[in-house]
Amino acid sequence: MENNIKIQIRNLWFYYKTISMLEGINVDFPENTITSITGPSGQGKSSFLMTMNRLWQCIDGASVKGEVKINFGNGFEDINHQKYPLPMLRRKVGMVFQTPNPLPMSIFKNIAFPFKLIGEKNQNKTFEKVEYALKKAFLWQEVKNRLTEDAGVLSGGQQQRLCIARALVLEPQVLLLDEPTSSLDEISAEMIEQLLLKLKKKCTIILVSHYMDQVKRIADTKFILSNRQLTLQEE
Amino acid sequence: MFSWCCALLLATGFMFIVGFLVVKGYRGINLELIFADTRLLDAFFLKRQVFGGLFPAIIGTLSLILLSIGFALPLGLASGIFLAEYASPRLKSFFSLMVDILAGIPSIVVGLFGFSITIFLHHFFSSQIFPCLLISALSLAFLILPYIIKTTQVAIESLPLQVRLTAPSLGATKLENIIFVLLPSALSDIVSGIVLAIGRCAEDTAVIMLTGVVATAGVPRSVFSNFEALPFYIYYIASEYSNSSELMKGYGAALILLLISAGLFALAHWIKLKIEQKTRFGY
Repeated sequence: MENNIKIQIRNLWFYYKTISMLEGINVDFPENTITSITGPSGQGKSSFLMTMNRLWQCIDGASVKGEVKINFGNGFEDINHQKYPLPMLRRKVGMVFQTPNPLPMSIFKNIAFPFKLIGEKNQNKTFEKVEYALKKAFLWQEVKNRLTEDAGVLSGGQQQRLCIARALVLEPQVLLLDEPTSSLDEISAEMIEQLLLKLKKKCTIILVSHYMDQVKRIADTKFILSNRQLTLQEE
Repeated sequence: MFSWCCALLLATGFMFIVGFLVVKGYRGINLELIFADTRLLDAFFLKRQVFGGLFPAIIGTLSLILLSIGFALPLGLASGIFLAEYASPRLKSFFSLMVDILAGIPSIVVGLFGFSITIFLHHFFSSQIFPCLLISALSLAFLILPYIIKTTQVAIESLPLQVRLTAPSLGATKLENIIFVLLPSALSDIVSGIVLAIGRCAEDTAVIMLTGVVATAGVPRSVFSNFEALPFYIYYIASEYSNSSELMKGYGAALILLLISAGLFALAHWIKLKIEQKTRFGY
């Protein structure tokens, strides 16, 4: 069973200034599954996601105590260790936010941005990867002739799929999704659900969602985050 | 309704000032006002000095603005970025207070400071140091620094949290986030601050009166020369004019100063558009 666990969290506390948002969370997330987290607003679901890529460090006043270990193929590594390389962690643990957040650059440059960060010079390889990621996010057909346009001109649904494509381009092992379909229409949301079902063969997905129907359709394991505690939701 | 009235009042005030200058000054604007009796090519290639024309004052004003912006811009941008992204809360509040105080210092005091520094340098370092274009530009840079620092800091700080988190979530370091995302996203507001600073450089008279401007210096040959400047010329004419044709020249100079400022504003926006085009479009 130990072999199938991708993320192991022990006694995790999350504070915003002096207020505790999460208290002593213990949970394991199995590999190649979709785990959903639901619960009332303002309970710290997004903050919880940020403990798995240490993005909380970019928020003034946020602090974390406890263990978050991820198995990237060489045994469990404590990502909260002070010397753990953050850029590398965040390339292996992709994240998509609730509101689409395209960068102030063209559609192509948005998707190629993670490659720029790792210093990829091979233009052909970058082009191939951009096309691959856009196809995976069901966006290629809509933007293949508009790759040089500002990403800001895309519709909300297209922008969200662009953000998913951008998160997928480096083929992360873990994908954190913070209500990714909340700004999408039904058809686009269904597309994303199909995409997630396909992705879980290669990726461990943690999905924060308010849509119970969606959770029932795609999640393998369901948790509720409420009163600073994460509890398993029985069928 | 109140907002509409305020906007209307502002637009009316602006139109009135520009209209007044155009009506009073357009007849005074001609090549003679700028070059007097010197030939255009001789003036441009500095073969002959222009006496009695505004050409040296135009060149002096342009040099002053470009030098001041050149000194203040890198320092202001870096300080604004530091305050927005790197400073601890205590350091931030201390430096923000300092910047606010600096912004409130009257320009005549900055001019006196520049003048005092010149005297100090003259006495203790080199007797060759006198009030000059460089001292004026440095003093003006000191004056406009708070505008650039504050607009950069506020522009970056006011970006939504999701914009700030995007690049780090993809593996960007703090510096990469600043260069590739935060600065391009805040560019419009930063350029507004630069435009404000250009306007301040173009109009200020108190600082330059004490640090290097003179009535008849000709085109400055180096940054260590005295220089002429349009705002000082306008001030001089307004206080010393003896007939209506001299006053007409003053209005003409004011209109030219306005056109130079507008041209520099347009240039700042053009550079902004070019930067945006380079980052927002293409492969």
